[in-house]
Order: sequence, then structure tokens, then C-alpha cells
Amino acid sequence: MRGQVPYLLGLGLIGFFVAFPFVYSAGDYDYIMHILITAFFYAILAASWSMLAGYAGQFSFGHIGFMGVGAYTAALFSHYFWLSPVPTELCTEYQFGSTWLVIVNPIGVTSSTLTQDCLRQALTAWDGSVEVSRMPVWLGIILGSIMGGVFGFLIGVLVLRLRAAYLALFTLGFAEILKATISAEIEITRGQAGIELPALFEDGVTVFGHAFSKTDKLPPYFVMFGLLLLCLAILAWLAHSKFGLFVRALREDQDAAAALGVNTTRYKVLVFVITTMMAAAAGAVQGHYIGIITPNNLFLLQMSLVVAMAVIGGVENFVAAAIGAIMIQVVLEMLRNSFVIGGYEIDMTIWRLVFFGIILMLTLRFARNGLIAPMIDHFTRGHVAHETVAKRVATEAEGTE
Amino acid sequence: METPFIFWGAILWMILWGIIGSLVTRRRYLQHDLDTSNTVFVGAMLGAATGPVGLVPLWMKTPELTNRLIVIPAIGTVVLIAAAFAFADPQNNCVANGSFVASQITNGLIIGIIYGFMALGLTLIFSILGVVSFAHGEFYMIGGMLVYFITAVWFPGINPMIAILMACAVVFAMGAIFERMFLTPMYEGKIDRPVEYGILITFGLAFTLQYFVQATAGANPVKVRRYFDFPRIRLPSSDDPWLIKTSRGNMELFDTISISNPRFTAAITCVLVLGALLYFLHRTWTGKALRAVSQDRDAAAIAGINPDRMNMLAFALGGMIAALAGALLVQAFSWLPQVGAIPAMRSFVIVVLGGLGSLPGAFLGGILVGLVEAAGTGCIPDAQKAASYIPAYGMVVLTLTLLLRPTGLFGRRFASGTHGKF
Amino acid sequence: MKKSIILSMASAVALSFGALPAGAQECPIKIGGIAPLSAPGTVVGGEAMRDAMLIAEEDINAAGGVMGCEVDVVIADSEGLPEKAAAIMEKLITQDGVVAVGGGYHSSVGVASKDVADARGVPVVFAETWNDTITGDKQKYIFRIAPLSSWASSTIWQHSLLVPGIKKAAILTENTDYGIPASEETKKGLATGGVETVIFSVDIGTQDYAGIVERIKAEDPDIIIVLATGEAGYNFQQQAADAGIGSMDVPFHAGQVSLESKAYWENVPDGNMAFVQRIGVPENLFTEKAKNFAKVYKERTGKDGVESYAMEAYDSIAILAQAINEAGSTDGDAIVTALENISHEGTLGRIYFPYGTKKDPSEDGKGDEWWHQWPDPALTVIQYQADGQSSVDAPIVWPDAYKTGDPVYVNE
Repeated sequence: MRGQVPYLLGLGLIGFFVAFPFVYSAGDYDYIMHILITAFFYAILAASWSMLAGYAGQFSFGHIGFMGVGAYTAALFSHYFWLSPVPTELCTEYQFGSTWLVIVNPIGVTSSTLTQDCLRQALTAWDGSVEVSRMPVWLGIILGSIMGGVFGFLIGVLVLRLRAAYLALFTLGFAEILKATISAEIEITRGQAGIELPALFEDGVTVFGHAFSKTDKLPPYFVMFGLLLLCLAILAWLAHSKFGLFVRALREDQDAAAALGVNTTRYKVLVFVITTMMAAAAGAVQGHYIGIITPNNLFLLQMSLVVAMAVIGGVENFVAAAIGAIMIQVVLEMLRNSFVIGGYEIDMTIWRLVFFGIILMLTLRFARNGLIAPMIDHFTRGHVAHETVAKRVATEAEGTE
Repeated sequence: METPFIFWGAILWMILWGIIGSLVTRRRYLQHDLDTSNTVFVGAMLGAATGPVGLVPLWMKTPELTNRLIVIPAIGTVVLIAAAFAFADPQNNCVANGSFVASQITNGLIIGIIYGFMALGLTLIFSILGVVSFAHGEFYMIGGMLVYFITAVWFPGINPMIAILMACAVVFAMGAIFERMFLTPMYEGKIDRPVEYGILITFGLAFTLQYFVQATAGANPVKVRRYFDFPRIRLPSSDDPWLIKTSRGNMELFDTISISNPRFTAAITCVLVLGALLYFLHRTWTGKALRAVSQDRDAAAIAGINPDRMNMLAFALGGMIAALAGALLVQAFSWLPQVGAIPAMRSFVIVVLGGLGSLPGAFLGGILVGLVEAAGTGCIPDAQKAASYIPAYGMVVLTLTLLLRPTGLFGRRFASGTHGKF
Repeated sequence: MKKSIILSMASAVALSFGALPAGAQECPIKIGGIAPLSAPGTVVGGEAMRDAMLIAEEDINAAGGVMGCEVDVVIADSEGLPEKAAAIMEKLITQDGVVAVGGGYHSSVGVASKDVADARGVPVVFAETWNDTITGDKQKYIFRIAPLSSWASSTIWQHSLLVPGIKKAAILTENTDYGIPASEETKKGLATGGVETVIFSVDIGTQDYAGIVERIKAEDPDIIIVLATGEAGYNFQQQAADAGIGSMDVPFHAGQVSLESKAYWENVPDGNMAFVQRIGVPENLFTEKAKNFAKVYKERTGKDGVESYAMEAYDSIAILAQAINEAGSTDGDAIVTALENISHEGTLGRIYFPYGTKKDPSEDGKGDEWWHQWPDPALTVIQYQADGQSSVDAPIVWPDAYKTGDPVYVNE
């Protein structure tokens, strides 16, 4: 009975987030929704990172880089590829049946888009007589996730021989090179100016007979929340299957695991691919929601935010990491507004981060399993020893397969 | 670049043979039950430098991989890349303009010495505690900030030398306190993964310090006046000072190489302090004790050294070295709470290149990284991109090192697995 | 079935609250003010703009407020980041309930945030964002009183062409929406005078410029032009001076940030003889309003002069207050109509917007970027001619109409 408490609480929490947008109705509705969407985004990153770092022991500092891969893939895809019923005769284009796939020429950052962008020129020439359409947003998100997985695979293969500190530094290097490349290749990525993405539902969307415009928060809220639940479900399934056991074995003692016949190479690469795909998918959705992605989104400080969220929630429990991320994001945003210093009405943007850093250090020092994971453990595990529970969970999972 | 295909063709060719070389050599040595620790590096370099010409004899004879066999192909590869570049772009300043090359190399050397010195602190911490300190850049930033506040705000008119010493003392104390408060549980075996704990806790410290300074000092760029002006020197004669000519902020050697005063001062100070540090480590009891702990913790404890105290000393000393680097560079760069990030990254690159935990490696690595960055910014033909890629040059070095020779130049013990387990 | 009814009902309720436009009159009337108050934004500029906007708030309230209400200027920190820009614009509008927005320093912030405001029908008067596309997209709710980038660039290159014996120029630019187009335009302009240009672009966070400085030195330029907004400008200029190609060795156009004289002299002690572009007329030609503002501003900040972007920020808030008064409503469309017909006596001079929905710029043969653009900001070039000089005391050396001193060309 006691073991059921977390599940009931979990269901309650899901119910709360599903009902929240319909119940809440204060004047700052859009703003609160914005915070929650961003919180779900961080929750996906924190949960997938805790699978990678906490379960599999692969302390990657490149997670935010994979997020960027997803977001930039989606951004470049929607920026450069268009569908047109008529050939522009200015751009590179390919015919598929009655439609033309138009590839826009990269012009970088400039002040005269109207005279340089081949599609814009064609549109001006047509003067509204032809309507071109974007590639579907969902296709960009899928491509972004796949690209994230591909990069995850490559990095996963490259880091096979590296452990601990070396792995952290290698992945950090990957993220930094990616960031520098994006901000230097201005012609294609628009560099620091950032590349704009269409909204998730550019033309609005109709659900259950209710029409939502592209600035409405409800559709992106449920898209992001759905993605979070999907990721958590996949992670939960993985953690409770053989995969989870093997991956944990990797963390505890790689050599012993290999000696026992676990294909360490395969599992190490696999865990990289799965978690990076999640980060990339989250990045692509968030990019479409925010409407712009810049290299600054790939800063080390952004990564540190994800790490801190996972650690405070509980790095060895992805559900705790996700809940921690949501709570921290909301609290940080609340603190931003409630302070006034020196008579100036300024957003309290800095001190809150100082306190956050101190909490992070204290959590690490005195509550190594985070603040939320122990609460979950308290109910699920009771007083049974650690290993016994792991075994029991594993056998149960096998039994239900 | 006039004929980019020459350069890129050569690079691709070298990468191809490098990959083949590393894979084949490792497999061959493994089959023959030989030591494989350097096979990847030698195979890759020999493959890149000579292609099949060098790989076949290596494959046939499987000789012992001596230092000579490690160094020569590596140099050959670098020379070959440089040659391909020179052929592809003969008009480039890096090829055609001798004084430009001399200036860039001097610049790279000078800044490399400073960054190598800073990385020394990181590697010192690692060799004793087994922790990669992510707060290194923040100690650097705080060192510079403190000197600014001491000389410009709190005690205007104070001798900068005293300000630097005060800043070092403050950071030393900060390091010691942090180590006592947050790193002690690592030594008692209470944490199952100490390496990761060390990374995360210093990460937290970095985060806190950076925002704390931003909240208290603000985000305006500040700077300290240069500590001293060059005396006016004109040699050999004041009419034709081809040998050396100085103005207050600049020194010109041979009419070609110009060295800026703040960097010159910083580099000279770093070399002097490095000398003092080496004396401390090799000639004093405490220094010897530190080295003993880094080599064998248990044996050192048996010999009557208290490893815990050495931990505290190493962390404080390492942080202080970073702070000193910052205190010296605050006269060269505008200072902000964010300035620590880039030097911190560079320090990671340097310590990995030099071999985690190796002191001479850190210094040599610093100079190499300084030269690589100078070459990158100086030689990339596209002026628009050369500077934007600055943060990437070091990271490419890091990536290549970890792929080809994770032990770095001088590292041996910490290559994989057990480090950090006490 | 039941679920879907609840869903649509609930969402309808939520939406009616969420998208609530500020229709009914609520006091105080809130106006947003965007400024970069933390790095990597240009904090010195942001703080000046914040102070100016808060003075504007006081002045408006002292004069009786707007439509009988007090005005409340809500300052928001853009951090100079485009990705923050959209979020803070969103927050200002939906959470703080501002009816219009002023301020804005970085072009990238303007470009990224204007779509949010336009989609929500909240008028924005940008104060210091130069990128041409901000008005060039011809959005209904977007106005600007800062100069156009292409036009500001032309000041720089026209002045640079006057440098005696100029053959080659080197430009150091930040790789943003401000720097890249500005450098391209400057290069084009210089080419009309037969001057060859090399452009080096850097990340705004770059600290060590030694390699770039050497490259520029090897190019042996007759003038160096800096198009960087943040401390990058300081860092580069001082390091160039250390290497012997500073403003005392070569004619040198310093970045916008150099107008902050106190920070400038602290960070660039060897920065004498630098040229800096400045917006607005010299102090002796100030309007009465500008003189009053300058007095209060100097008292408040302890500075010895008033920067052009502080005046722009002040005007952006003041013009919005006047527009709301004339519209008699806080409705976005009404404010836009008022702005299009406005004649505002600001600190920078008489501000008006000749082109917009009532008259397209193309009718006068002008480009799209003149949409909702104030056409008259005075652009001048000053030169620091003494160590520690304030940017206000420094003589204006170009154009001749405003000239207060003769330029010194250090290479002569």
C-alpha cells in the first residue's frame, strides 16, 4: 500500500498539470503558461541527463549541445526548405509531382533581405498570386531528434574509452566547438543574431472545435507536456527493463559488467543515443515555441542550470530530476519578480542565482541523493536494503514483460 | 585561400591514413600481445605523415614504441599540414610575411606562458585531490576583481604589488575554507563517485561565485592601470633603434616584434613565480610532502604526512595560482564577472594536453595551446571567421588529445579508471 | 464527449482572461522600458537608458501624468540576448500589462522582440536599435527614433574618407545583427571613395585580441573602425594601443560604447584622439527640454554629460506618453494612429513619423526601412582630444554644420 503512494502522487501531479491551464485564470495567465512550458523543457533535459549521468554514470557536459543540434536542425530545415506550386526560377529547386521543393540561398545577416533572398524576390515578383508553404513543423522536430541521435551515436562511440573527468571534458569540448561553429558560420546559421523558427502551430490549430491562434499558449503547453510524459515513460520502461540493470552495472563497475558478458559498448552507445535524442527533441520543440535560437542557448551556464536541476531533484532518479527541474524553474521565475532593490524597479535577476548556487552546493554536500528523490524512495523502498529493491524491481519488470 | 583543394585534399588524405593507421596498429599490437598504450597515437601520426610508406614497416616489424618513434611522426604531421597550407595559400601572411609570423609566435608564447601558469594550479589540484576544479576560472576572475577593488575603490593609491598579494591571500583563504567545508567527505569514502562529486561541487561554487560577484560588483567592465611603464630604451642608438625600442606601453624588438607591456609583465612574473613554486615543491618539506601525497597517498600517510592537510593546501594553492594569473591580466583585459569562462576552458585543454596531474606538462601544454591559438587566429584566411573561431581552437586540441592519446604529453597514471578513488 | 465540452469551455474562459487587452482605464498606466542591465549586454548603456526612462516617468507624472493617471515605467532587462528579448517582451505585455514599450539598445533584441509586440498589438518606440529590418518589415506597431544603421554607417564612411591619404581601412565588428550589416554598408561606402576594406568579426565575449591586432597591423590600414557595442570595443582598442596601432598612432573610429567617458578612460587609458560617432546636436544647440533633462540627469547620475542614447530613451517614453494622451485611450491601434500624426518636442528635437499606414515610404521613392522612422536625428562625429576628456566636451569634428573643433589626424 505504502509503495503505491508515489504512483498516486504522480498521477495526481499529471492530473494537476493537465487541469491547470483550464482552472487558472489570472491576468498573468500567458506568462505563467510560458514559465511552465519552459519548465517542462528543462524537465526533459534534466530527466534525460539524469538517465545518462545518474543511471549510466556518463557525466556528459554536452547535453545542452545536443539540445542545440535538435533546435538548429529544425531551424535550418524550416528556414531553407519551402514548398511552392510554381518554380521560382531564382532558387535551387526540385520538382516533385506538382510541387516544387525550393531551397533558399543562405544570405547570412544583412540589412537588405528583400533584394538578396531568392524566395522573397520571387514572392515580390508574383505579388501575392502564388502561395508558398513551409515544410511541416513536426517533420523538422523529427529530423532534429534524429540528428541529435546521430550526433549522440558519434559522441557515444568516441567516448567509449573515456571515463569520469575525461568524459566530462570531452563532451564539454564538443558543446563548445558546436557553439563556436554556429556563431562563426554566419552565412548559414545567422550567428549571434540567431535563427528564427515558425511557431509550433503557425496557422493556428483547432482542437475539439476550439480554434487556437499561433500565440495561444495552450497547444505548445500540451505538446511540451506530452513530450515530457513520453520521455519519462520511455525512461521508466528502460530503467525497469534489462537495459536499466545493465546500464546501472556500467556505472558501478564497467570491467566487471563486461566480464559478466554485458555488451558494454552497445549499452553505452545506446544510452547516449536515447538520451541525446530526447534532448534534441526538447530543443526542437522549444525552438519552435520561443521562435528563435541563438548560440547563447548553448552556453555552459545553461548546461549548469540543467545539471543543478537534476542534482537538486536527485540525479539518480529521473522522475525526481524532472520534478526538481519544474519546481526550480518556477521558483526562479517567481523570485525574479518579487524583489525591489535600491528604489529601482528592476528584475531581481542575479541574487536569486546566487542563492540557487548555494542551495546546489548544500544539496550536494548534505543530501547527496537530492531533495526529491529521497521522498520517493522513502515510500517505494521502505526499509528494504538498496540492492534487494533493485533486484525485486528488476524481477517484477521481467515478470510483466 | 587560392587553391583550397590542395589543402583540404591533403588534410582528408592525412585523416584517412591516420584513422587506418590507428586502427590497424592497435589491432596488430594487440594480436602480438604487445603494449598497446601508444599504438593509437603512433599509428595515427605515422599514417598521417607518411601514409602506407610508414605504416607497412610498422605493421611488419611491430617495433617497441620508443619516445623517438612517438615524437618524430607527430612533428612530421605538423610540418606536413603547414606545408600543405603554404602551398595552398602562398599569399597568406603566415607564409609570406616573416615579421608577422615572428609577432604571432611571440604573442602565442607570452600568452601561452600565462595560461600554462594558470593551468598549473588546476593540475596541482588534480594531482593531489583527483578533482577537476570547475571553479578555476572563477578564482581567476576574483583575483582580477579584487586587485581592481583594492587599487581603485577601497585603498586608492596603494602599491599594486601589495594589492596582488592581498588578492592572492584572500583567494587562498577562500580555497582553504571551501575545501574544508565541501570536499572533506570525498576522502572518507562516503561518496561512491568522488570524481563526479568533485566536478559538481566545484561547478556549484563557480556558479555561486560568478553571480555573487555580478550581484555585488555589477556588470560594468573595469580595468586596472598597468603596473609599471617601460623605461625609455633605444638600442643600439636613438636614431636607428633596430634592436629594441620601448614606449610606455609597448616594446618593439628588431623592428618587427611588438610586445605589450601588461602581457610582458604578466609573463615575466609568471616565470618568476613558477621558479619559486618549483623551489617550494622540490626543496621544502611541505612541498616534498605535497608531491609525496600526489604519488602515493597511503605511503605518504605512513611516512607521517597528513594527507588531509595536503589536500587543503593543494586546493588553496591551486586557486591562488589562478587568482594570481587574473591579478596579472586585469591590467591587460577589461574585467567582468564572466571573464573566467574562457580561461577556464583553456585550462582544461592545457591540463589534458599536458597530462592530467603533470606539472611540466601543464606548462608545456600552455605554450603549445598559446601557439595553436595564435596560429588559428593568425592564419585562417577568412578574416571574418578567424576571430569567431577562437574558442574552438583549444577545444579541437582537447578533442584530438583525448581521442589519440588520453594520457596527454606526460600523463601516465591517470589515464583511466581508478583515479580519484582514495 | 463530456471531457471535450469541459475542455473547450474551460479553455474559452482561460483565453478570455489570457488575451485580455488593456481596454478599460486602469491607473497607473504602465509603459515598458527595455534596456540591457546585465552582461553580455552593454550594461553601461543600459543603466544610462534606465536612469533616463525613470526620469521621463517622473517628469511626466510631475506634469500631471497621462489621462489623469500616473505613469509607471516598468524596466526589463534584455541582457542583450535575442532569446531573452522575446520572453521579456512577452512578460512586459502579459504579466506587467504595459500598454506600450520604449527603450531598446541592442539591435538583435529589437529584431527578436518586435514580432511579439506586433502580434499582440502593443506599440513600441525603439530608442537605440539601428538595424534596418526593424522598421524595414513595415509592421504596424513598430516605431523608431534611433538612426538607421545604413544611414549611421554613412556618417562613418563619409567622415573616414576625409582622412588624408586614406587607401585602406580595417573594420573590427561584432558578429551580430548590428555589426555585420553595419560593416558591410561601411565597406560599400568606403569603396565608393576607392578605399579597400578588410573586415574582422568577433564574438562579443572575446577578451584576447592579440592575434587579430597583429593581423590588422600586417594589413597596415590608414584607419581602423570599431563597430562593437560592448566591452569588446574597449578591449580591442586598448590592446591595439598596446601593440602600437591605437588611436594615437592611426586614425581610429571607436565603438559606440566609448561615449561613456568614465568607463572609457578607465578601460582605454591610451584612447586619446579616437573618433566616436554621436547622435544629437552639441550641447550649445540643445533645446530647452534637453537642457532641463541634462541637468537632472547629471545630478542624478553624477556624470558630467548626457549620452545620446539616454536622450533617445527619455524621448521614447515621453513620446509614448504624449501619444496615449492624444489618443485618449490605451488601445494599441489608437496609440499607433496618434503616433503617426504626432509632433513631439523631445530632447533630440521635433520628433515625427512621416511614413506609415497613411503614406508608404515608396511614394517618396524611399526604401521600406523609412517606415515609422524619425528622419531627423543629427549624426555627428566627435574626437577625444585630451586625456580624460568627457564625451560632451570633446569637440565635434564632423559634419561642418555642427563643427565645434578641427579634427586631428594622428598619421599626418
